[in-house]
Amino acid sequence: MKKLSLMALTAAATLVGSALVANAADYKIGLSNGWVGSEWRTQMIAEAEAAAAKWKDRGVNVEVVVQSANVDVPGQIAHVRNFISEGVDAIIINPNSPTAFDPVFAQAKDAGILVISTDAEVSSPDALYVGIDQKGWAEASAKWLAEALGGKGKVVAINGFAGHPANEMRVAGYREVFAKYPGIEIVNEVNANWDQAQGQQAMQNLLATYPDINGVWVQDGMAAGAWRSIIDAGKTGDIAATGEIRKDFLDLWVKNSFKSGASVNPPGVMASALNVAVPMLEGRELKTPAKDGVYGNALYLPIPFIDGDNVAAIHDKLGGEPGYYSYTSSLSIEQAEALFK
Amino acid sequence: MKGAPTAAAAGPAGLRQFLVRFPFLPALCILIVLLALNGIFEPRSLSFRSLTGIVSTYLALMMLAVAQTYVVYAGDIDLSVGAIVSLVNVAIVALLQQMGGGGLTVLAVLGIGLAVGLACGIVNGLVVAWLRLQAIVATFATSILFTGLALWIMPVAGTPAPAAVWRTYGGRILEIPFVFWAVAALALVLAILARTRLTTQLLAVGDDAVRAYQSGLPVTRIRIRGYALCGVFAALAAFCVTGDTASGDPLVGAKMTLSSVAAVVLGGCALSGGVGTVTGSVLAAVIIGLINSLVYFVGTPSEWQNLVQGLAIIVALMAGVLVTRWARS
Repeated sequence: MKKLSLMALTAAATLVGSALVANAADYKIGLSNGWVGSEWRTQMIAEAEAAAAKWKDRGVNVEVVVQSANVDVPGQIAHVRNFISEGVDAIIINPNSPTAFDPVFAQAKDAGILVISTDAEVSSPDALYVGIDQKGWAEASAKWLAEALGGKGKVVAINGFAGHPANEMRVAGYREVFAKYPGIEIVNEVNANWDQAQGQQAMQNLLATYPDINGVWVQDGMAAGAWRSIIDAGKTGDIAATGEIRKDFLDLWVKNSFKSGASVNPPGVMASALNVAVPMLEGRELKTPAKDGVYGNALYLPIPFIDGDNVAAIHDKLGGEPGYYSYTSSLSIEQAEALFK
Repeated sequence: MKGAPTAAAAGPAGLRQFLVRFPFLPALCILIVLLALNGIFEPRSLSFRSLTGIVSTYLALMMLAVAQTYVVYAGDIDLSVGAIVSLVNVAIVALLQQMGGGGLTVLAVLGIGLAVGLACGIVNGLVVAWLRLQAIVATFATSILFTGLALWIMPVAGTPAPAAVWRTYGGRILEIPFVFWAVAALALVLAILARTRLTTQLLAVGDDAVRAYQSGLPVTRIRIRGYALCGVFAALAAFCVTGDTASGDPLVGAKMTLSSVAAVVLGGCALSGGVGTVTGSVLAAVIIGLINSLVYFVGTPSEWQNLVQGLAIIVALMAGVLVTRWARS
């Protein structure tokens, strides 16, 4: 009983405490994440929370509230509606659909809320995209692969979900690049649904069907699976393949000196978006308005690249991190502010 | 009826009988409690605008829960409802884009959408009841087929629906939000359907398919009709999704399937068939939505939100099941 009342007291104290904090906050920013299937997303939120805390040194209190769960599209629309009910100043969302949020973002804008999507672009004219260009992301690694093969050879591609917008943009990206190299032949393209095990399986099948391939273009965590199959087939030295950015993979890369290159989609994108959101809430204007991308509402962030030249240094930098930790980068407050007038 | 009150339960017998007659009562109580809790933790969540928002968001799941209920009545299950939602969504959005967004055209296209849902339902019914494949596996397979069709119609999400569609869905008629009219219409349709022979027949098949067959019911045909009805309501769910999202997305319904099954169970249906009400399923769809909001409003840290949501749904399920069991003992 005593324990129970103590718990109640603590709970009450926490509530009062958080109420006080809420009063002191200058800006309240809602973060919505609709899929929790990977550590990348967890890291994305953790980095955004850390970025919000850093604004305190500038005398700006940024309170973040987070909704993160596996939800369907209506479930994530509910996230946005909850934020509107709560009266946040800005919403930063990693959206489950590129187009489905148009009406609800319009409602958010009517309520005076700034909406920024990150990691996946949205079509809404009432929102802004702050993140990397998924097409450019694919182009960079495709270009690396084509150059690594000296501009000629047989290449296979292992992709994510058919129909997923980021996947389609990436596919368009590498196809465009490979088309510029007449010597490069794409012999097959398969989908492995961004799943490491499926990536490994797909690579095994591809190696069995096309024993003479020279290059593999593969996305994200599936690269770790694909490389495992390449190692098992004893072709580590013969095949060049794109890589990924988790420490586990970088360990393997350095140890086996893979011929690999990886475009970085850093989990820090949400932190970058937050650092862009705060000056916007302060009423400042971007030097160049966000007009990039297919929807004309994107502000693209630089895409770091890992290849043979810098992999050792990056690997050293991640020394103490756990295996699932992704190499990251984000706009600092100063870098973000430099984008504004 | 299994739930005849016994002499030992003379005291609360009246209440028990009441619960047997209205198996959705536990769901209704949970719904009221959740509304109250949401109001306590975020008073603005009970504002008229927020409540309209909840109905707009979860009307699709309500429809889908109803769809699922009719197959569960007969002891079947449909794991393709989400894929049907996606297929109908992209089909009508693609058609609207080609044919323009005039009033009559929209109605015609919605008619085609219903036909697509109906066709999907009949395919499911034939595969399950006529070819006698296991419902859970067969509808999983057809879900892949329907998703494939949706991807063929629209390879990537993005086509916008005409403004008329979402303006209507998000708008008002006679100062009352459209979605409330839709709920009223749904209630009316469900009340009529509950009085039809088909509902009784589905429940009879679900209660004991062999006995239903022996008593002369065309079991195969009844199960196919259940799936057909399910397809039609999945199409209605797709209309709601289209109204609320104003766009086509070939994967939009994928994650809604299991929510619909959860809603059906939460609403007091037995997955073994023969017991349940559509009212319970509709209420449970809202419960799932309110649980998700409440978990956030009480301030659950993000890394625990999925866990707490899961636990809360299990607790709600247990409460419902225990009360029902007590009522029927």
